[in-house]
Amino acid sequence: MSRASVRDRSRAFALVAPLILFLALFFVWPLWTMVTASVVDDAVTKVLPRTAAAMADWDGSDLPPPAVHGALAEDLRTVQDQQALGEAVRRLNSAVSGFRTLLTRTVTAAREASDPATLDLSTIDPRWSEPRFWRAIKEAVPPYTDRNLLAALDLRRDAGGSIVAEEPGAAANRIIMLRTFVIAGSVTLACAAIGLPYAMLAAAASGVMRALLLLAVLLPLWTSLLVRTAAWFILLQQEGLINRALAALGLIDAPLPLIFNRLGVIIAMTHVLLPFMVLPIYSVLIAVPRNLMPAAASLGAGPIRAFWRVLLPLAMPGLMSGCLLVFMVAIGYYITPALVGGANDQMISSVIAFYALGTANWGMAGALGLILLAVTLLLYLVYGRLSRSPQLPGA
Amino acid sequence: MLRALQIVFGSLVVAFLILPIIAILPLAFTSSVFLTYPIPSYSLRWFEELVTADVWRLSIINSLIVGGGATLLSTVLGTLAALGLRGNALPLAGLLRTLFLLPMVVPAVVLGVGMQIFLVRLGLASTYPGVIIAHAVLCVPFVVVSVSAALQGIDPAVEKAAMSLGAPPITVFRRVTLPLAVPGVVSGAVFAFATSLDEVVITLFVAGPNQRTLARQMFSSIRENISPTVAAAALLLIVGTLCLAALAALLRRREKPAVA
Amino acid sequence: MGAFIAFQDVTKKFGAVTVVDHLDLEIAKGEFLSLLGPSGSGKTTILMMLAGFERPSSGSILLADRPITHLPPHRRQMGVVFQNYALFPHMTVAENVAFPLEMQRVPRAEITRRVERALDMVRLSPLKDRKPSQLSGGQQQRVALTRALVFEPDVILMDEPLGALDKQLREHMQLEIRDLHRRLGLTIVFVTHDQSEALTMSDRIAVFNAGKVEQIDTPQAVYDRPRTRFVAEFIGETNLVEGKVVEAGAQQAVVRVGEAALNVSGEVSAGRDVSLSLRPERIRLGKEPAAANALPVTVADCIYHGDHMRLVLKSGPLELVARAERLAGDWAVGTEAVASFDPQDCTVLAS
Repeated sequence: MSRASVRDRSRAFALVAPLILFLALFFVWPLWTMVTASVVDDAVTKVLPRTAAAMADWDGSDLPPPAVHGALAEDLRTVQDQQALGEAVRRLNSAVSGFRTLLTRTVTAAREASDPATLDLSTIDPRWSEPRFWRAIKEAVPPYTDRNLLAALDLRRDAGGSIVAEEPGAAANRIIMLRTFVIAGSVTLACAAIGLPYAMLAAAASGVMRALLLLAVLLPLWTSLLVRTAAWFILLQQEGLINRALAALGLIDAPLPLIFNRLGVIIAMTHVLLPFMVLPIYSVLIAVPRNLMPAAASLGAGPIRAFWRVLLPLAMPGLMSGCLLVFMVAIGYYITPALVGGANDQMISSVIAFYALGTANWGMAGALGLILLAVTLLLYLVYGRLSRSPQLPGA
Repeated sequence: MLRALQIVFGSLVVAFLILPIIAILPLAFTSSVFLTYPIPSYSLRWFEELVTADVWRLSIINSLIVGGGATLLSTVLGTLAALGLRGNALPLAGLLRTLFLLPMVVPAVVLGVGMQIFLVRLGLASTYPGVIIAHAVLCVPFVVVSVSAALQGIDPAVEKAAMSLGAPPITVFRRVTLPLAVPGVVSGAVFAFATSLDEVVITLFVAGPNQRTLARQMFSSIRENISPTVAAAALLLIVGTLCLAALAALLRRREKPAVA
Repeated sequence: MGAFIAFQDVTKKFGAVTVVDHLDLEIAKGEFLSLLGPSGSGKTTILMMLAGFERPSSGSILLADRPITHLPPHRRQMGVVFQNYALFPHMTVAENVAFPLEMQRVPRAEITRRVERALDMVRLSPLKDRKPSQLSGGQQQRVALTRALVFEPDVILMDEPLGALDKQLREHMQLEIRDLHRRLGLTIVFVTHDQSEALTMSDRIAVFNAGKVEQIDTPQAVYDRPRTRFVAEFIGETNLVEGKVVEAGAQQAVVRVGEAALNVSGEVSAGRDVSLSLRPERIRLGKEPAAANALPVTVADCIYHGDHMRLVLKSGPLELVARAERLAGDWAVGTEAVASFDPQDCTVLAS
């Protein structure tokens, strides 16, 4: 029953407003910035507005008309913002190498020219008589591009502008996305296989036993993720505890390769994410009346049938939320694969981090980030529908 | 038979969950430069390294600065918002609640990329305020959840009782609502601090060398040249988190004494 | 003399639902009035409007001839005792009781003195430094009561204050509250759904159904002369008998039920179909045909209740329940008998 007065409402709003503002500014806006970074491509337009206008009529087949030369010279002569110019140069140079020296030379010449409007640029540098440099400018002039988004899916536009698949040699993103889903899926399966029976065990136990079983789940949840990953790093290494123990037991002769491979990533991530599987299932099972299984038994169901027909269906909602949760968190994982995985175990987050931190390619980082964000939010939406409270366990 | 199977399975999972965390701890006291068992002899040299080596000492100080700032910021904002969300006075309260929880859901790398571009534009990249703000965004959900839970536990009749006994709204808030919400605020703050302490990914994107936190330092140490200092730092983190959790539990206990 | 508290044509709606429907109610100073009704009858809403937590959708509420309809709760000077006591969990017993005095800016020393005296009165002084969670239900109830009384409010409002206590403690607290009311001359408005509680404690009872007052009367009148079918059925147990009025007089009438003509009390006009209420314990059972107000019956069932027997009687299509004392003889199933009653014990109900 909503019977709030105007005063109550405005007071409540005043209390919530600071956080809304804070998150709008420092959460929603950054995400929006990332999304736009993947489609905005205005470095060249910003610096060469006249050229962009003059090029509108040119079909790009041969050399552009002289008016374009004049516009470009005028644009370069009047450019004030050196940083913007630098970005434009970088953008063009990434399309056709050689632009860096070409533009530097042209800017100097344009500044010194008495009448830039009539300047023939090919007299400054012979490369201006090559159509491919002009075409690069024309392609870079539109302020928005789907280049990054297409590239994120291993697609590109060919010379005619239609979308085609990237050559197999250059196509890496689909493989990485597939790998991300495979790793996240394996971790989810492993968590379900261990988590379901464990949650049932914990729900069936009582007193100290139950407290102990739950503590074993909560303790890792409270322990730093980094500490846990470091622990697995130490355990899994060549001379690590696991290999030593196996060798001491005489089970192996040479150390097993456990670290910097897929197995290590899955073991460590399963450890990290297992609580997210156990807790939702446990919270569903704990609400099941304790006398339900005896009741099923009294009605003639053997232990296996009772489990199959009574307990499992009741645990299903918890299992579903647990799986969604683990999968959702797993696909965005970065630290664990980065530390215990090898080159072939890097997930989509690593690629995003590589583009953003390694090469400052915001466009690609943004495009891949957008895909990861969309998938995660979709999963969260389903999770929110499935479980009554959208809150994550452990919070 | 089934019973034995249960015991074996339960013990194995408990071991899988707990042993890795325990296994790392003794290595903090090794005298060797390798993080391996058996430990040749015990020493405190890696703790010494932790407090004397500049990168480690600075990273601990940075973690305290960033953690403190992010905790303060997120606790104030989150507590206010939780108070505002109470009592269904707002339209779209459900939507707002979801917005407040989203930083917990969005993959850290995605937020990191956005945050980096955005903070560069604001000129806040590689500055303390920038890192603190970024951490606070991640801490907010924990505070909102924790304070909301505490507020939900307050019987509205208690506040009505205060009113009927002559307390004007401000006094009701100051003398009744706030004291009853304090345990929730404290545990929210503890969660926030622990979150900030453990945060690596966003820090990787927005912090410069001068804002390198302990977690960030551990991350690069494991990646580049792992040494027992990492185990010492891990021990420090575990002990710190346990102390905070104990503090929160203690405060809660004092607020709500057990029924005699 | 004007009423101390008056509801004048008060209506309260929550959205499309009318919870209180054009209520007129007057409460005298020093009176103990119970608001009795099933859940959802609007009685708690009335109390909450009086305390100031809800505003009437229309109409006005007066306290000592002053309108208080829009006065906020903290300026109403009404002590409220809530269903689950609503003690401040973070304050000790003494701090709880001191709270209303602090709100009135009573000097420190006097607060200490008055709190001690009040706690002495309910024998809670030894527990004054405990937190509410360390008290038993009955002790919490006494703290809540003391806290509501200590600032000497004009009115005490109680919202099912005894509902959470077990039966024995509840009966004890009923007497304690009744005693306080008499000793201190308090004005008490008491909400309950427990009819025996209302009958035991009140000066007057207002019986509510679906947002409307069915009857306001003394406990005795409400029980003995229920005005409506709802009141007759809600309070105590009753036999409802259908009949036709054949003769109407001042405060009495003759009603034909089957073959018999019965003298009953009530104001009705002749020729109408009416319902009569007849309490089981008012039925006299005998073997000899009585002079007046008698129905020939057969004992259809006899249920043992320890201190009394309940008899199910049949008279043609009519079925009556009667209460027979153990001394009144043995009534085996199948026994033919005569049931009779006094005219003032059988009331015509308003349709």
